[in-house]
Amino acid sequence: MILRLSLFLWIAAAMLGGFLWAPLVTALGASTRVLYFHIPSAWITVLALGWSMLHSVQYLRTRRLDHDDQAAAAAELGVLFCIVAAVSGALWAKAQWGTYWNWDPRETTIFFLLLIYGAYLALRSAIEGEEKRARLAAVYSVMAFVTVPFLIFVVPRLYATLHPSPILPQQGERGAMDPRIRICFLAMLAGFTALFFWILSLRVRLVRSERRALSESAAQS
Amino acid sequence: MNLAPVAVEAIGVEARGLEHLYAGRRGLAALSFALQAPGVVAITGSNGSGKSTLLRLLAGLLRPTAGLSLVTLAGREVPPAERRTVLGFASPELAFYEELSCLENLTFAAEARGLRDRMAPALAALERVGLGARARDRVAALSSGMTQRLRLAFALLLRPPLLLLDEPGSHLDEEGRLLVERVVDEEARTGLVVIATNESREWRLAAQRIELRGRGLGRTA
Amino acid sequence: MPPNGSNSAAAVWAVLRKECRSEWRTRYGLNAALLFAVSTLTSVSFAVGRLPDRSDLLAALLWVVLLFAALASLAHAFVREVEGHTLTLLRLVASPTAIALGKLLFNLLFLAVLEAVTVPLFLVLMGGPPVHWGPFLLILGLGSLALAATTTLVGAVVSQTRGRGALFAAVSLPLLMVVLAASVSGLRAQWDGNPVATEARLLAAYAAVVLGASVLLYDHLWED
Repeated sequence: MILRLSLFLWIAAAMLGGFLWAPLVTALGASTRVLYFHIPSAWITVLALGWSMLHSVQYLRTRRLDHDDQAAAAAELGVLFCIVAAVSGALWAKAQWGTYWNWDPRETTIFFLLLIYGAYLALRSAIEGEEKRARLAAVYSVMAFVTVPFLIFVVPRLYATLHPSPILPQQGERGAMDPRIRICFLAMLAGFTALFFWILSLRVRLVRSERRALSESAAQS
Repeated sequence: MNLAPVAVEAIGVEARGLEHLYAGRRGLAALSFALQAPGVVAITGSNGSGKSTLLRLLAGLLRPTAGLSLVTLAGREVPPAERRTVLGFASPELAFYEELSCLENLTFAAEARGLRDRMAPALAALERVGLGARARDRVAALSSGMTQRLRLAFALLLRPPLLLLDEPGSHLDEEGRLLVERVVDEEARTGLVVIATNESREWRLAAQRIELRGRGLGRTA
Repeated sequence: MPPNGSNSAAAVWAVLRKECRSEWRTRYGLNAALLFAVSTLTSVSFAVGRLPDRSDLLAALLWVVLLFAALASLAHAFVREVEGHTLTLLRLVASPTAIALGKLLFNLLFLAVLEAVTVPLFLVLMGGPPVHWGPFLLILGLGSLALAATTTLVGAVVSQTRGRGALFAAVSLPLLMVVLAASVSGLRAQWDGNPVATEARLLAAYAAVVLGASVLLYDHLWED
């Protein structure tokens, strides 16, 4: 309870700090503030994917359903944060570049991550039997895991050749970040990470108690 | 793979707390036993007590939820992934490629097992179950009784030291049932034959009988 | 009798031969795939007309046609086993790896036949600039290998889901975006007279990584 309350206060304080205390970056204007939501969301998207895939590998090694619960819950949360990151990014792009979507390398990457999350969850929902679901989803997850590095590092390079005229402004502003912005940003990053693990643990506990209830009712019937 | 006579009486099958749960529906309650060649063992039990599940577990087709099964050949353990090389398996669910002939189905099996001469054992197995005249017919054209004979031929193809037969007499006429009795009798002289059945005529062939008292349809606490 | 190298190779070869024989008897999969590819090709060609000087569009259209023809048909090899309930038989005679590698070789062969029909037809209908055959075939071959390696594993997974092949395209596509991007870029470079080494290396690396991971994963495909 104390922990939950302090997490709430922490994020609220960081948010207020971002809006009232930290200055704006001159080149970005009011759109600076998207930084406090967008980058932490993008970070959680990647973190959730890594967490999910790590537990998928662990599931295949140990065959403990706990790992599958972690993998599934992380993927569900990953979709949520991925959408937040994509939408906040698109809003920022509209304000800054004039269009919501340009297929710039970062946008492309986040879009692919969304596709992979979607495919993983669609696959899960189509498999009956939790052992089988866990096993096949983990196989797919490992496959996605080995292809993601190609997406992140290689596609942005090649993608420019698919789209001959991308409008990409130079992004040099982040290097010289005002210390107050940096503090608020890092606080939000830590807050989002804590939020992710808290919701994750709730989700996993829910799934476990559902399973227990199910096996108890099966034992009684 | 060589077909030289191995010390088949050295094959042994053991279960230690072997258990399988399938989404709370079908399954096998924890079971332990040890069997040694030569001989016939019958597995009986009500519908849903786990006879077929047990055979699939022993064959290495199914992964146990708990416990383990051991197959030893000449004192050496055969891991589940390699069991197919020492056993013959026939069950009502076993289906063949309908667009291929009986002979082609069996030569494919022999070829995949690495046999150089695949025609002779395939023809011999078909002759043995009385399908010699139908060798070149497509499987799609077989009656259910003839398909059952083909299943037996498939199990006998490589003269394995261990035979796992799930309801071997199903769909068979009187002549077919006599054939099953003859085959079981011949194979049990050197190898181990495990039959899952509820037909008294079939389990009377066995010297030993294992009765499964799983939950089945009702509840036997 | 532990399985040794030659035994596994025999099993892979046996599975491939069985696939070819089954496919030849029924011809269901190949006919459907060829018809699909030719229909797509016809509608693309009919809709955009000839493109003599648009290497970017040509490369993209050719790969989109090939990709979707493949996605419409490559799950078939496993779906057929599941629908015919023949997977038990298959698992009793060959290891998961031998089964999957046999199917992979079959899928590669299937793609080769599909491309042998589709690609010449595409070149004739769309009227592109002259093709540099060496780089063209290199990119096409490596792209097909990457495509087959990915779809064989995904096909084996998807054939065990409730909708059988229904999810196949949706689940394969996110993994295949790299292959699509690199292959399109490579074909375009080839038409523009540029080197294709970067794309070829990328496709080869992708195929190698996917194949390596697949060999580790095949053992987990079937357990019930």
